[in-house]
Amino acid sequence: MKLVTAIIKPFRLDNVKEALEAVGAKGLTVTEAQGFGRQKGHTETYRGAEYQVAFTPKIKVEVLVDDAAVTGVVDAIVKAARTEKIGDGKIWVTDVDTVVRIRTGETGPDAI
Amino acid sequence: MSVLMATALHAANVCQKNVAYVGNTVDPKNCSDPNWVDTGNTSWQMTAATFVGLMSLPGLAVLYAGLVPKKWAVNTMFMAFTGFSAVMVVWVLWGYKMGFGSPIGGGTPSGDYTYHYTGNFFANFFNNFVGHPQSINGGNAQMGQAGLPIGTAVPLQMPTPALAYFQFVFAAITPLLFLGSVVGRIKPIVWMIFVPAWCTFVYTVNAMLLWGGGYWAHEGALDYSGGYVIHLAAGVSGFTAAWIIGPRLARDKAKWVPHSLTMVAVGAGIVWLGWNGFNGGDPYFSGRDAATALINTNAATAAGLLTWVVWDMVLSKSKKPTFLGGVNGMICGLVGITPCAGYVSGSGALWVGIITSTIVWFAWTYLQPITLRKVDDASGVVYTHGLAGLCGGLLVGIFADPSIIVYTSSNGNPVTVAGALYGHPKQLLIQFLAALTIIIWDALLTFIILRVIGIFTSLRVPDDFLEGGDVEIHEEEAYPPDEGYVRTGELVGVGATPGSSGSTTASPGASSDSLAGETR
Repeated sequence: MKLVTAIIKPFRLDNVKEALEAVGAKGLTVTEAQGFGRQKGHTETYRGAEYQVAFTPKIKVEVLVDDAAVTGVVDAIVKAARTEKIGDGKIWVTDVDTVVRIRTGETGPDAI
Repeated sequence: MSVLMATALHAANVCQKNVAYVGNTVDPKNCSDPNWVDTGNTSWQMTAATFVGLMSLPGLAVLYAGLVPKKWAVNTMFMAFTGFSAVMVVWVLWGYKMGFGSPIGGGTPSGDYTYHYTGNFFANFFNNFVGHPQSINGGNAQMGQAGLPIGTAVPLQMPTPALAYFQFVFAAITPLLFLGSVVGRIKPIVWMIFVPAWCTFVYTVNAMLLWGGGYWAHEGALDYSGGYVIHLAAGVSGFTAAWIIGPRLARDKAKWVPHSLTMVAVGAGIVWLGWNGFNGGDPYFSGRDAATALINTNAATAAGLLTWVVWDMVLSKSKKPTFLGGVNGMICGLVGITPCAGYVSGSGALWVGIITSTIVWFAWTYLQPITLRKVDDASGVVYTHGLAGLCGGLLVGIFADPSIIVYTSSNGNPVTVAGALYGHPKQLLIQFLAALTIIIWDALLTFIILRVIGIFTSLRVPDDFLEGGDVEIHEEEAYPPDEGYVRTGELVGVGATPGSSGSTTASPGASSDSLAGETR
């Protein structure tokens, strides 16, 4: 089992959700996040005082998948989140030891 | 007594700096003012005007800011404050006299108010549709008695600035209302040019036609406080402007969720109670018609609010009462009663609230989804103000009640008006034709003004900037996060600490740090 974590532009979330449903993802978790990558922050000005705002608002999407589904899910996110402009985000995949569905106690792939 | 004397002497001192005042006796009753000033009427006029001003700032500013997504809140408030300012400047320099001065085809700019009537409709109309543009900034104008072309039979008991400011806050709120139509894409510079141009070429004409003694006033059209001059005008102009400027960003339009219902509550509450000045101030006398207008306004509003909520519970998809529905119903009641307030009785007012709210509810529910596809009137101003204003304007032609005495004439006869229910069906026709005039003129001129501005600059903020909203357009956001801000650039003057004793030669770096800390 794998955990696919994607950092995306907030306004691409609807596309990403639809794309994930289309490839059979059973659920996902969304978190509002802030950060920076190659896209540096932006400038804001308050009463003539200029600030560099280091972090840009992003959305973190997390999806648990079977090993076999990883490629499909990652491709789906890439396609749905891409605007080809700087700041489109990143995806990484990590191994997962255990998954438990709390309501039933199911474990492993059954719990995904 | 001695206190009174001191006050009087002080007043004389202030009023007449260059005149030897010692020994002059100041009449404490009239102080510095001539006999035509009535302090009660003047006080109420200035108070009512301030109430109406509060409807714009902060009322509409926060109401609309709450209705838009978070990323548009600053832009919306910015537009409200700049629009208000632009109208103020126009108003004192030339606008007031265009709306309430001497008609352009008759009389002279200096205040000969002769109504010029030749018998030919077009000549009658265009001689009496706008006033000579003229400033009211001079000392003589400011010290003078307020006058209206239509009002020669009704001597106003206040100085010109009291009436001019009262009329200003009406002129100012109108563009702020149709800001709701064009919010989320109009370029700030375009807004700051469009608003004064619109005030000059559209609002003053509306005002002269119905209030300033122009053509429709002369024909007997009724608009107590601006069902046509303000609300129908805002709806039509906003709709036209939204059509010309084009829709919001598709993504914004698809997800236009109000970011703060709490702010909507604050704004809506100020708007409702501010309306006591809006309608209560329009008789220009603080008497029984003003009081009647005030209570009628609230009765219609309460009825309109509850009517909308009931329709929501009976006919909406979810069958649930909604707060924002209640606010829409409130606006419908307020707008509907505006042209009627001091012409109808209390029961007429309740009917106006119920009928207006009902008509707008059905149009909003069944018609708006269709028009929204063609014309992106973001806040639906053409319904809650345009259609509601039209309803109210027609309803006064039905419900105007001759037992409501608007003025008492000098020979003691009551001045009243009657609608179709009271044996004067022609009033309804006059109301209809006046509405038609406003619709055609306002749509046409809004179209022309925006097309002309469009020759020089794009009317819209570029799409890349629309993505970011406030941060891209103003480099500000409504709710900056606590973390992640680093002060950059030189500290030029801003926030310098004058008069701070002690530290004499702090290095620029040190002061920068401490300031950044303070400001954050």
